[in-house]
Amino acid sequence: MDTRTHPMTQEEVMALFDHELPAERKEFVSSHLDQCPECDALTSQFGAVSAALSRWGVEPLPGELTKRIMESAAKTRSGVKVRAPSIFIRAGLWGGKRWALGGGIAIATLLFLVAISVPSWHRSQDSTSKARMIAQHRISVDDAAVREGVIGGASKQSEPLSTPSRVVDSNGLLHGLGDHAQNTISVDGPLATEEPSEFTSGPMIARTASLSIVVKDFVVARATLDAILVRHHAYAAELTVNTAEGSARTLQASLRVPASELQSALSELKSLGRVENETQSGEEVTQQHADLVARLKNSRETEQRLQAILQERTGKITDVLQVEQEIARVRGEIEQMEAEQKGLEHRVSYVTVSLNLADVFQAQLTTPSPSIGTRFHNGFVAGVHNASEAVLGIALFFMEYGPTVLVLLLILGFPGLFLLRRYRRSLTTA
Amino acid sequence: MNDTTPKANLGKQTPPESDERLMQACSQGSAEAFSELFARYKQPLFGFFRRRVADPAQAEELTQETFLAVLRGAPHYEPRALFRTYLYAIGFKILRGYCRKVALRAAFWGERTGSLEPAGHDGTDASMLLREAVGKLERTDREILLLREFEELTYAEISELLHLPLNTVRSRLFRARLALRKLLEEPAPVIGLGKLAEFEG
Repeated sequence: MDTRTHPMTQEEVMALFDHELPAERKEFVSSHLDQCPECDALTSQFGAVSAALSRWGVEPLPGELTKRIMESAAKTRSGVKVRAPSIFIRAGLWGGKRWALGGGIAIATLLFLVAISVPSWHRSQDSTSKARMIAQHRISVDDAAVREGVIGGASKQSEPLSTPSRVVDSNGLLHGLGDHAQNTISVDGPLATEEPSEFTSGPMIARTASLSIVVKDFVVARATLDAILVRHHAYAAELTVNTAEGSARTLQASLRVPASELQSALSELKSLGRVENETQSGEEVTQQHADLVARLKNSRETEQRLQAILQERTGKITDVLQVEQEIARVRGEIEQMEAEQKGLEHRVSYVTVSLNLADVFQAQLTTPSPSIGTRFHNGFVAGVHNASEAVLGIALFFMEYGPTVLVLLLILGFPGLFLLRRYRRSLTTA
Repeated sequence: MNDTTPKANLGKQTPPESDERLMQACSQGSAEAFSELFARYKQPLFGFFRRRVADPAQAEELTQETFLAVLRGAPHYEPRALFRTYLYAIGFKILRGYCRKVALRAAFWGERTGSLEPAGHDGTDASMLLREAVGKLERTDREILLLREFEELTYAEISELLHLPLNTVRSRLFRARLALRKLLEEPAPVIGLGKLAEFEG
């Protein structure tokens, strides 16, 4: 339509037809329609379309449904939960935008978690490997110290120490001397070499004791402990000292004390400070020891008989070899049983005392705290480090899992795309 | 034409109260008010679903669900708009959910259960061809046209319901009418001028 000949739009003509035109324009457009056959014809077309559509009838609502709805309404009003129809659709079903928003938030959260967790995981991996390297280094360093016999209280013993063993924990940390905050000694004490005559009569009790003591002066208590060990011919099989900053110092030790001197040693240990916990227990191993001795005796006799057979009898070379193999087997058993016997007797002759020492923690008022500038600097450095670690972590994550995700996308992408297209097509026809 | 519009009902019975007042009474627990609203809108609402859903049983269920949703939401009703707009907004949401469900099912299983091709009461060729012509319209244009012609919503109500600007509603309605007119004028096999003349009486 030309606006020069028709001073209004066609949509205004339609609005007049629909009674949607504002009053101020209504009269103007109406008067134009009276004079313009073209616009009048347009109105007629709208009328024709409306008339055509008006033939699209719908059957009346079934009376049964009316009854059903009124019954459901009555139930709903009375608070009874009405069973949803079979095609029940929630009016508040999420739309596409909300799904997209939810999915985006979920992905962002996942990325955030990955960004946080991956750097810390890498840090823990780094610290573990570093700790292992340090542990390996310290083992070689401390070997010399052990050979020189300068390991804590154990070095002051009159008895010679057997080869000490250092413990490397699951994190790769060495428990041994030289660690600033955590000193651990793990020493295998001297095995009882005496003949088992003292164990042949009377019950054999493998005793254990445990003490938890709070001391006022940790340094003095530590020195006193060493003196007690020397005085009672005891030794520390394992000893760990924790001197972490900002907390009480602690000492955990596994002591081996001669059974004959247990009571006096315990008394002196208790005098180190206030005893918080004490336990003692004993396990009778008499029968176990007697069995072991009997089996050992039998095995030795068997060995002697086999030796006699080997020396006195003659036979085929295969027979000789068979006898020698049997002797070797019996010899192995004998040595194993001897070791067991010695271990058992050592458990009886040396009581295991678990000692926990802790000093009374006193907070330091004059603890030097870093300046604000230093703290800001440290915070900034940590922030930059974390950011770089996060970026690196995300990159590593995608490097590590990217190919798998790509393969999965290739496998699932095409069916997903196909379904999505079908879904959109179905929705469009709706 | 079997379905009666609310306006037609109003003309016949002169209702004592407006829809909005009845809905407010309904929100306060009046069963009579709900019955009156149901009587006024049951057929228009059923027609609304019936013209958009092929299966009559599903149209019935959707009608039921819409009325129950109105009843459940009655305590929170605020007369900020006409009740008619409120009712069709609920019906529209339920219809959309239904369409998504059907489309999803069709995407996975290829089912065409409840084909969304609208059905009609009379099975004449003219009626069927009219429905075909309407089905060829662009989706939003078709919806605007149906809301205007059958639900008799104003441009503003359609705009609010479909979240479209008022001018967009007007221009799309205009476009839909002309497109439908053109489709109805097309020669066979689609309905021809003769059929249109038949419609026009």
